[in-house]
Amino acid sequence: MKRRAVWGMIVGATVATLYGCVPPQPAPDLLAPTEAQMKIRSVQTRTFDVKERQVAMRAVIAALQDLGFIIERANESLGLVTAARFAEPNYYDVLGVTVTVRPQADARMMIRANAIYNNKPIEDPKVYQNFFATLERSLFVTKD
Amino acid sequence: MMRRWLMAAGCLIFAGQMAGCVAHTQPEELFQLSPESAANRAMQTRMFETKDEAELLSASAAVLQDLGFQVEESVREAGFLRAAKERSAREYGQYISRFFVLVLSMGKVLTPVDLHQKISVSLVARPLNPDATRQEVRIIFYRVVWKGDGQVDRQYIPPGQQKMEMIRDPVLYQEFFAKLSKAVFLEGFTL
Repeated sequence: MKRRAVWGMIVGATVATLYGCVPPQPAPDLLAPTEAQMKIRSVQTRTFDVKERQVAMRAVIAALQDLGFIIERANESLGLVTAARFAEPNYYDVLGVTVTVRPQADARMMIRANAIYNNKPIEDPKVYQNFFATLERSLFVTKD
Repeated sequence: MMRRWLMAAGCLIFAGQMAGCVAHTQPEELFQLSPESAANRAMQTRMFETKDEAELLSASAAVLQDLGFQVEESVREAGFLRAAKERSAREYGQYISRFFVLVLSMGKVLTPVDLHQKISVSLVARPLNPDATRQEVRIIFYRVVWKGDGQVDRQYIPPGQQKMEMIRDPVLYQEFFAKLSKAVFLEGFTL
């Protein structure tokens, strides 16, 4: 009688284990763009009336410096700028940003900024509005 | 008497804990120009009446080398330089205050002292007008400090804690620009 109970338990445990072994089906829309993604992209992107990439890039660098950022990397041919700053007065938090400058067909520049705060992406539209406001000023000054 | 000492130690520990509670700045504030932005800009920037951006950049690299920096990255097209040097960060004052805190807390609190630092520079040269007859050089100094070990009560603080800060000592910037002016035979000026 006791043996049967043990067998019963073993079978029960095996069934329970196997039950968890159904391979999880990947959702078909795993890599499909979501609405949130589109939204954040439009928040992070803005187009400016600038013909030359170099002018736009230098304005981006100047704007970031005005905001107290340390330029870490710049790549002219790819139109890429990476910068970071300490979240003063708290020196343990770091704010990082990557800006890409891409020319568009109609002599305009598309500028996209991605900001992260302590390795977490910032999705607040206000942050990007602030950045582009500073960039606009910087572009305007550079043009003169 | 004993109670007073205990109170003093308690206050010290409490103060130490509170010091760690600096309010987090919201990221959105960090993308806004602050009242100090303009002053920082003025301190970190000089303009030069020259067409030769490459010469300004290479002279800057030479000055940084004279100051003991190693150039880590350079992008001529963007007029960008990044350099760094590592030095000891030990200061007598910190050891003295560490000793007093240790005595006052009756051997319970051993504050970590600064041991090592990496001083870095990010420099950008750019033309200011379309004909590029006037160039601007902006340099930013900052440092990362590594702390030694310490102890609070029974809890050991392992070494290697990091602290980062911008260096905002105007003398350092003046010194750099004085050397750069000499190197390019031009007087740098501010607006």
